[in-house]
Amino acid sequence: MTKSREKAVRICLFIFFVIISFFILVPFYAVTISAFKPGEELVRYGLNLKFDLNVMSFDNFVYLFTGDHAYFTWFFNSLILTIVQVVLTLLISATVAYGFSAYDFRGKNFLFICVLLIMMVPFEILLLPLYKLIFNMNLMNTYSAIILPGIASAATIFFFRQYLSGIPKELIAAGRVDGATEYGIYVRLILPIMKPSFAAMAILNGMNSWNNFLWPFMVLSNENKYTLPIGLKTLLTPYGNNYDLLIVGSFFSILPIFVLFIAFQKYFIDGMTAGAVKG
Amino acid sequence: MIKRFLYSQKVAPYVFVLPFVLVFAIFWVYPLISSFQMSFQKITLGQEAQYIGFDNYTKLMTDKTFLKAIGNSALYMVLTLVILIPFPMLFAVLINNRLMWGREFFKSSFFFPALTSVVVAGTIFRLMFGEMDGSLMNSILALFGVGPMKFLKEHTTGMIALLALATWRWTGVNMLYFLSGLKNIPDDYYEAASIDGASSFQKFMKITVPLLKPTSIYVLTISIYAGLAMFIESMMLWNGNNSPKNIGLTIVGYLYRQGIEKNNLGYAAAVGIVLLLITMIINLTQLAFTGLFKKED
Amino acid sequence: MKMKKWFILLSVISLVLFMSGCGKSSNSSGGTKSVLDGGAGETATELSYWTFVELHGQHFEKMLTKWNAANPDRQIKLNVTVMPYDDMHNKLSIALQTGTGAPDIADIELGKFPDFLKGTPQLESLNDVIDPYRDTIVKSRIDLYSKDGVNYGIPTHVGAAVAFYNTDILKEAGVDYTTIKTWDDYKKAGELVYEKTGKHMGTADTSATWQASMLLAQQGSDFTDADGNPQVNSPEMVKALTLLKDLQDSNVLATVAGGQPDTEEAYGEFNSGNYASAFMPFWMMSRFTNYMSDLSGKVAIAPIPVIEEGMPRSYGGGGTGTVVTKTAKDVQLAKDFLAFAKLSEDANIEIWNTLGFDPVNMNVWTMEDVTHNPDNQFVKYFQNNPFDVLNEIKDEIKLIKSTPASPTINNVLCTVTLNEIFEDGKDVKQALDDAQAQIEQELK
Repeated sequence: MTKSREKAVRICLFIFFVIISFFILVPFYAVTISAFKPGEELVRYGLNLKFDLNVMSFDNFVYLFTGDHAYFTWFFNSLILTIVQVVLTLLISATVAYGFSAYDFRGKNFLFICVLLIMMVPFEILLLPLYKLIFNMNLMNTYSAIILPGIASAATIFFFRQYLSGIPKELIAAGRVDGATEYGIYVRLILPIMKPSFAAMAILNGMNSWNNFLWPFMVLSNENKYTLPIGLKTLLTPYGNNYDLLIVGSFFSILPIFVLFIAFQKYFIDGMTAGAVKG
Repeated sequence: MIKRFLYSQKVAPYVFVLPFVLVFAIFWVYPLISSFQMSFQKITLGQEAQYIGFDNYTKLMTDKTFLKAIGNSALYMVLTLVILIPFPMLFAVLINNRLMWGREFFKSSFFFPALTSVVVAGTIFRLMFGEMDGSLMNSILALFGVGPMKFLKEHTTGMIALLALATWRWTGVNMLYFLSGLKNIPDDYYEAASIDGASSFQKFMKITVPLLKPTSIYVLTISIYAGLAMFIESMMLWNGNNSPKNIGLTIVGYLYRQGIEKNNLGYAAAVGIVLLLITMIINLTQLAFTGLFKKED
Repeated sequence: MKMKKWFILLSVISLVLFMSGCGKSSNSSGGTKSVLDGGAGETATELSYWTFVELHGQHFEKMLTKWNAANPDRQIKLNVTVMPYDDMHNKLSIALQTGTGAPDIADIELGKFPDFLKGTPQLESLNDVIDPYRDTIVKSRIDLYSKDGVNYGIPTHVGAAVAFYNTDILKEAGVDYTTIKTWDDYKKAGELVYEKTGKHMGTADTSATWQASMLLAQQGSDFTDADGNPQVNSPEMVKALTLLKDLQDSNVLATVAGGQPDTEEAYGEFNSGNYASAFMPFWMMSRFTNYMSDLSGKVAIAPIPVIEEGMPRSYGGGGTGTVVTKTAKDVQLAKDFLAFAKLSEDANIEIWNTLGFDPVNMNVWTMEDVTHNPDNQFVKYFQNNPFDVLNEIKDEIKLIKSTPASPTINNVLCTVTLNEIFEDGKDVKQALDDAQAQIEQELK
């Protein structure tokens, strides 16, 4: 390829991606601008890109940080719930996946088909019976009700099993020769190797957990236990003028993940791409 | 004694998979069975449930609103497949080109939307697609001299808004899936093809697409599921489950409407079982065709 | 190995948090923002209350202080949870269906109420606490929340429908709203407004049935027949919607963002002065004061136009029935407090002062010092006194029945039929015949 042709390709590619990125980033720009405008403006004119200093101010931010509302309670709840949920789900799913990949045992195929089936059952159809069950277990309004049903996540197990199938069996055999117990092998030898896949699954599970709405909404009924999406949703009511907090709150809910994302960008992208899906 | 039993090689695998077995039995099998049972019942507030055979199912077959919901969900699923598989694949290949400038920046910016919650993203899109003259989409249309549109009141434009939301949120994620698939394709394949004088397009069609098949199957499977089970997106876009002329009603939305908004638990359970069957049939057919099971065995 | 340490640390923290989360009971310990104590002491009973209207909580707060002062041995703390309209009703519905997780007291909106009366209602009978007030309050408002003679809900207001006119726009077009008596007058005025200002006189509602209800009430008809069966393709209904359609075709009415005046999008449109009138129940006043500050001093209230003079000029629209659930901790206490907070004369005065509603105790309507209090925010906002209009139409406020079929009728009309008629221009008779068929199918 000649130099000049290479350059032309470069520029075309670049322009193409700039245009696409522009469309992707426009909604963020619109939210950012709107976070500085009074909610009334938003309701009257819709979300737009007008940069009008006359109507823009820091009032919403002042209200966010000093106003009488539960926003930061929700924010903190979401944060804790996400961390707990991700760590527990990863640990348990990885353990299960290891059981599937390292051993041959009776009922293994049947159980693994169950894993695959769960991946195809829309969770939503279980809402009502699950609600009853959670109530009978006396778990209403607790975070356990949100964490427990998803603690052995099928998609995560499936992903880890695929990942582990690339690990040589000799490693496990060598461990046994060294006198390690079955659990010792898993904890000391296997877990460390799984690190890259943990990063990928942590991101996916973390995103799901941070954004999860329907099920937490059904089981949490106390405002002080709400997570951020539920809390923000409660602001969407014609019976209370909450658009000021809604938009600035939405803006602020995106902000910390962005900061985290930009700081750990390499891990995010590498983690996602490292966990190759092998058929 | 107990310790030796638990530590034996025969028992250890069961200990490892025990959490799954418990969760599966308690949170999936039991609710599924009770859903199935409920779908044959008429359940009235405060009274004993009555078994009514297949009445719920026969009623569903002639329920126009339900058929509309199936239509909407199916159309949405098909269109998301058409958009969210080829384009992210193409983007992944382009962004992977060695001549690409600012690769990391673009990867990140494509991924950004996935970090927002549906509640936030749906609200943003609802306001962008507002019917006021000043809303974002209408002010863009105005630049081309097209009058303000009531996006969320018409079937076509409503579907466009839903797809815009899905495309915006998922393009980046699917692109990353494909990027991870691309990593597994050895460079020698391309080099060999270049020596044979293959064009970029030929390389894409003959090497990239076939070798990305496992990734594509994975993305296809989760997209079928996500498309058919979509609900919150529609709920946020119309700020509720009742869109004009039901243009945003999905199967899960109908389940929610019947079971939770209208107290018809039995009927809602039947909707759920039909959805389960549809998802299973489509996905199993798809997996049989694409040959995932053959490989597993 | 640095990563490993982090990982272990995180796992431990998670487990600890998880365990502590499990152990905690679902009751939040006091001191939260949503618990109103109203001066209650240590021994007060805590009752939970769900609502979808923030202001209702404020009203209860006022009444709670009075209750606790008057009943030192039966004091109450009220734990108020405000949720969006759909979400609150849905959660309440699941809670009552499963017999689990319901609050002690809850607001249920009229449109949803029949769903909660299906089968054996999981709500307490309120007859005994309503009885002492029965003579002073409008009977039909209680009947809305009743089944087989049992009263399950306590009403908040009458909801008399009235017309709201933006007099700035009318002045520009040279229209005097007091001369509008019939729909013909309204049409002439509207055409003038459109010609002079390019603005529309009013809205053609696609997501609410206020207008259709008004026109049915004027003709002495209803959405359901005497037995409660749907009749949405009755000649009266066809006449009503044809009239509205004709107004839309002559640019007097136009559809509005949000589909009806009581939506946040429409508040914006009205506030910007894009529509000159709205026909809404009385409680729309509080939306004006809360969301349409630009219109302060520019809005006048008047009776709704009629098809022919002499027809009744109003009906009671919307409403919220407050209920006590079967699973309430202390049923009698909840019932007594509820009656005190919504039916006593004090309560009715407060309902006007705080919420701006037309109270169900009509004696209040004639208390000059209450209704004409110059410091009242509603009195200040509107050009004429709201109660002058109310008292004028007092005997013309008709009832649109609430039946088991009502939620379905409403759902079909507000999501499908009205949109077809006003957005797509579908033939009125055809659209209503289709609606009737759809409703009958759904109710089977």
